[in-house]
Amino acid sequence: MRDFAPLLIIPAAALVVGPAHATEYLSIEQAQKAIFPEADRFVAAPVLLSEEQREAIEDRAGVKQRWEKQDVWRAEKNGQLIGWFIVDNVVGKHEFITYAAGLLPEGKVKGVEVMVFKETHGDEIREASWRKTLEGKTLADPFKLDKDVPNISGATLSCRNVMNGVKRLLVLQQVALPAR
Amino acid sequence: MPAPAIRRMRPLLGTFVEIHARAPAVLAETGIEAAFSAIDEVQRQMSFFDPDSDLSRINLHAWRKPVAVNPSTFRVLLLARHVARDSQGLFDFTVGGRLVRDGRLPDHGFHDLDSEGWEALELLPRLRVRLKRPVVLTLDGIAKGFAVDAAVHALLAHGVTRGVVNAGGDLRLFGPDPVPIAVREASGAISALGSFRNTAMATSAVGLSLEDQARFPSCIVTPAGCDGAACPHFNACPRAWTVMAGEAWRADALTKVAALAPDHERGARIAKLGGRLIVAGEDGREH
Repeated sequence: MRDFAPLLIIPAAALVVGPAHATEYLSIEQAQKAIFPEADRFVAAPVLLSEEQREAIEDRAGVKQRWEKQDVWRAEKNGQLIGWFIVDNVVGKHEFITYAAGLLPEGKVKGVEVMVFKETHGDEIREASWRKTLEGKTLADPFKLDKDVPNISGATLSCRNVMNGVKRLLVLQQVALPAR
Repeated sequence: MPAPAIRRMRPLLGTFVEIHARAPAVLAETGIEAAFSAIDEVQRQMSFFDPDSDLSRINLHAWRKPVAVNPSTFRVLLLARHVARDSQGLFDFTVGGRLVRDGRLPDHGFHDLDSEGWEALELLPRLRVRLKRPVVLTLDGIAKGFAVDAAVHALLAHGVTRGVVNAGGDLRLFGPDPVPIAVREASGAISALGSFRNTAMATSAVGLSLEDQARFPSCIVTPAGCDGAACPHFNACPRAWTVMAGEAWRADALTKVAALAPDHERGARIAKLGGRLIVAGEDGREH
């Protein structure tokens, strides 16, 4: 997680304070292996986007490129580029997701893996009902909740944010990454 | 001492699908990969959004001529018809036209958006499907559960004998371990339901606000057209119904029956269709 800590700094207003449900699924190395198992080397190739590039991405993807720096790795096999491994964050109203996307050199998605999923139930009404329904459970350490009730049925969370993020990364690839 | 669960999550089926596999790492990794592929396949075959999916080909052409489909699509249609018939239409997979008209689903140039009714579906030999009239099918209310079942079968086939597949609330537990389950109500509240094992569960919420509908894309269309905040009974509407069944497709489909059944018949109807209605607080013990 340390490697991409700067990306986790997001406008405070987007974060809601409250009990949260957070799970870490994969580290960067694990996600790299999961998406590009055939790669023998991952070379860090972080991208610094110019103002023009960010505008171009927003124009073509319809999604704002919020940060200048995007953490990108070249996935290589025998010295040849076999794809791009990109770590990205999406922030929803109630969820904060770090995911990895693998993009093939020809601009296709190889795979998407959620690395960290954090869900917040921040506003007061939600917090109140949360407290009520979980009476007797300690909320001192909200992350403990994950251990208590890891499996949540019910109203389905949309994955649209992540799908839009992947769309943005495909445009970023065209705008800022070399063909080989 | 059981192996720790390996957990993965991917964006699929319009939501986040989480798989826990409690098995040695090599088995778990290959099993999880196969399980995600199985879900992906169901998604591709039964997608309403993809004009080339089995479902779209049925909706566009099967009213004119029989359409050949994949075995799993055929099986889902068979199951869907069975639940529709036995629930007297409370579970209805022919409301696609209405959802297209409301702008919730894309219009691929359908012949007719007004026709509904499960009896229009004919399942022919050799995996062919015909529609007696141009109804528009949507398998949203059952295919997600079916995809969860397919993922569990894939895990079992790869030697993973204990775990969880959770497709944004349609979940199935397999193996001997009791697993604690909570339900997210449409209000955002989380209620603990208790611990369960070897079962499937699904929850459907009705009476969502527009904002919540955007966040929670599952929606239930009622026969009377009662839906969401516009419904005069909105505030009286129960917020979520949870159904337990042996398989996830059944739990998924029966939540629609639960949401739409009259209060006094709800439990009995669900039981008759092979499920069990779970009420928070009433059932908070190990099953």
